[in-house]
Amino acid sequence: MSEPGLLDAPEADLLESLDLPWLVVVHNDPVNLMSYVAIVFRRIFGWTRERAERHMMEVHTKGRSVVWCGGREQAEHYVQQLHSFLLLATLEKSS
Amino acid sequence: MLGELLQAVAMDPWERYPEGSARLLPSPGEGEDLEDLRLDWEDHVQPGLRHHFDLERVVVSDDLAGMIQLKGKTPSWTLEIPPDHTDAWLTTLNALRLALAEEHRFTEKDLSEKESSDLSTERGLALMQVNFYAFIQECLLQAMEDDSGK
Repeated sequence: MSEPGLLDAPEADLLESLDLPWLVVVHNDPVNLMSYVAIVFRRIFGWTRERAERHMMEVHTKGRSVVWCGGREQAEHYVQQLHSFLLLATLEKSS
Repeated sequence: MLGELLQAVAMDPWERYPEGSARLLPSPGEGEDLEDLRLDWEDHVQPGLRHHFDLERVVVSDDLAGMIQLKGKTPSWTLEIPPDHTDAWLTTLNALRLALAEEHRFTEKDLSEKESSDLSTERGLALMQVNFYAFIQECLLQAMEDDSGK
C-alpha cells in the first residue's frame, strides 16, 4: 500500500510542486477602468469584492500587483485569461 | 454624432489602428527563461485571443445592426444590449479604447482631463471617443452589479 500523500499524489501535482513558484503580475495601464479590473479579478480568481478591490488599488497606486503564485502551467493559464480580458499581465519567476 | 460613434464600436481595431492594436496582444513576460513561452504565445495563444476578440465583435456588430434611430427634433437612438452580450460589449469597447489610446499615446493625465477635448483635431476626437466608450462600459458594469445584487 502506498504512503498517503506521496505515491498517491497525481503526477501533475508532483511535477508542479517541483516547479514552484511563478508569479502572475498585473500591471497598471491608464485605460482599463478600475471597476472593470476589479470585476475581472473576481471573475477569474473567484475573490470577494474586498480582495479584488484591494489588488485593483495596488495595481493603480503601485503600478503592479502579484495576483497569484504557484506552478508555471497554472500561472500561464491565468496570464492567458487576464489577456483575454485585455489586462496587462505577465509571468515572473519568484526571486 | 454619438450614434456614429456607437456604430464605430464594431470596427476592426487591427485594420483601423494597426499600431495601437499591438497593445491588445501583450507579451506574457520578459526574461530569457520565458523565450520559449513568448514564441509559443505568438504561435498559439495570440491567434486564439484575436479570434476570441473577433467573435465578441461580431456579437456587438449584430446588436448594433438592431439599433433604431428615433424620429424627432433631436436625433436619438435606441440600442438594446441583452444581458448575455455584456461581456462581448465590455471586451469590444475595451479593445477599441486600448487601441485608440495606444495609437494616440494618451497618458493618464490626458485620460483624466476634465476639460472637453478639442474636437476639431483627430487627437481630440479620439480622446472623446475613449471617454464616451468608457461611459458605456461604466453603464454596463453598473448594470452587472445591479443584476448580481438582485
